[in-house]
Amino acid sequence: MNYQTIVYEEANKIGTITLNRPQRLNAINDLMLDELDDILRVKETDTDIKAMVIKGAGRCFSVGQDLGGEGNAEVMPPDSQAHLSTKDLIETGTRWNRRLEYIFNYLKPTIAQVHGYCLGLGLYISMACDITIAGDDAVFGDPSLRMGLLTGIPLWTWLIGIKKTKELVYLGRYLDAKEAERIFLINKVVAAEKLEGEVGKYAEALAIPPGDGMVVCKESINAQMESRGVGSAWRFLTEMQTINWMQLRQIPAGEFNFWEARSKKGLKAAIQERDAAVEKFFPKPSAP
Amino acid sequence: MTTFKETVKWITQYQKRQWEAMPYEGREFSAALYEKDGPIARITLNRPEKRNALNDAMFNDLMAGLHKANDDSDVRVVIIRGAGTSFCAGHDLSSPEGEESPPVHPNMAPNVRDFYNIERRRCNKHEDLFNFPKPTIAQVHGYCIGAGGEIQAACDITIAAEDAQFGIRGFGVAPIGLYGMNMGPWPGASHKLGAGKMLPEISGKEMDMIGTINKAVPLEKLEEEANKWALAIASQPPDALAVAKEFINGMLDITGYGASWRVHYEGHVTIQWVRFRPDEVSFYRSKKHGGLKGFLEERAIHATPKKKSDPQ
Repeated sequence: MNYQTIVYEEANKIGTITLNRPQRLNAINDLMLDELDDILRVKETDTDIKAMVIKGAGRCFSVGQDLGGEGNAEVMPPDSQAHLSTKDLIETGTRWNRRLEYIFNYLKPTIAQVHGYCLGLGLYISMACDITIAGDDAVFGDPSLRMGLLTGIPLWTWLIGIKKTKELVYLGRYLDAKEAERIFLINKVVAAEKLEGEVGKYAEALAIPPGDGMVVCKESINAQMESRGVGSAWRFLTEMQTINWMQLRQIPAGEFNFWEARSKKGLKAAIQERDAAVEKFFPKPSAP
Repeated sequence: MTTFKETVKWITQYQKRQWEAMPYEGREFSAALYEKDGPIARITLNRPEKRNALNDAMFNDLMAGLHKANDDSDVRVVIIRGAGTSFCAGHDLSSPEGEESPPVHPNMAPNVRDFYNIERRRCNKHEDLFNFPKPTIAQVHGYCIGAGGEIQAACDITIAAEDAQFGIRGFGVAPIGLYGMNMGPWPGASHKLGAGKMLPEISGKEMDMIGTINKAVPLEKLEEEANKWALAIASQPPDALAVAKEFINGMLDITGYGASWRVHYEGHVTIQWVRFRPDEVSFYRSKKHGGLKGFLEERAIHATPKKKSDPQ
């Protein structure tokens, strides 16, 4: 398997997928999505692999969607000026949600091994995994709303409750691993240098029970969430994303317009401007 | 005996949200005050002599304030707070009969349909606050009891003083509340908040610790902190905020949150027929004999855990 944006390895019945665009802080573009889809699909039926770890190469797990201009038509909301039909928008949203829902329902136990930034789509992947273990250098956040975008996953309230969900979605503020652990956004935080070992321990332990038994267990837990409406919630997200993307066609004058800022001042300046508004009130945890 | 038809002053169309039905033009706000400060609208519960206990006048001003804030496109976030020593001490149990906000007085002899109408309007005031299209922040200090707790629970964000006292006292019936709904079904709280925790108040600090509110700060920093959160939210794109709120609340409805509001008001109807053992406190019975003060004293005695040596 020749992948350009991910690395796949296996040892001791554990598969490890490494997001591998370290020079771009593992920003997720269309190719990485494709390759991630591909390796997950290929390995899902491989009964020799009993747990799947997802981690990032270089300085962080992932800063989320690649906000640059190219090769990201699928990870980013549809171009507002393309005026896609409602049908196209709903299909785009459906694909987006199916992709994360697939990881959520993946027929093996999954662990996100998080260090450094874990933002946007990176955070959604971590939330969709069964277990998230983070180093104490990790920084979590979903800055979507600052760009006028709706958050891209419905699992928030299931994990962290109502008020915390609203806080993190409305403000898009960043939080450190310790706080993420305290509010149940992740399972555990360990010292950065112990992260790899800790995840290894969890993965090996998950590989001990019979794989079929594990799958039945996971399926029944997810089915409990389904009975409380999580399936409808994924779908509801698609509908709300459609409204959100239509709304992006008309950002009122005077409001921050990320897309305009990006084309005029470049990506880096646009991101800085995006983050500055909220960081004035809620400073980012110390940079990893 | 007064009848419901004579005293009902608050009939609204069920289709309208409660705040939408409350006019604000030319209104003199008094039981709750309205002020605008840049992108922030502040609604201040203003019956400090009653620790801001809720009666119809206060609810009406609160609803009218929300209506005004919704219609004013400059307003991007609403802060709800209390004047004086407390945020809100809950329903005003000394309200005269015929008032909708406090527990319905038995002299009103309502039938079940009367009750459903009252309770729908009553609970919808909280639910319509919950679904208010702009972000809301509760700035809580002092007592935040019963229905006051429901108001803060229905806000998107709650910032409290560390020594604020949250609690549900019930009126000798049961500690039910929408309050519980923010805790119950969601992680981080339910297992830590057994019924035994409901009678003694829970401090703002403890509420922060268990994740049921967003942040607790020392009282003297409360206003500053609430304003910080308000301005941070106000810096976000309002349309995207509206979509996000609709998404989160709609998603909660999918999980049955809407039904739980309904269960709440059905519960209010059901508890009217609770039969009390002689050793239990009944609000109406107790109030009839000893007045409100007598009831409060009797309730306080019953709320105090008995020592094993005490006679049963």
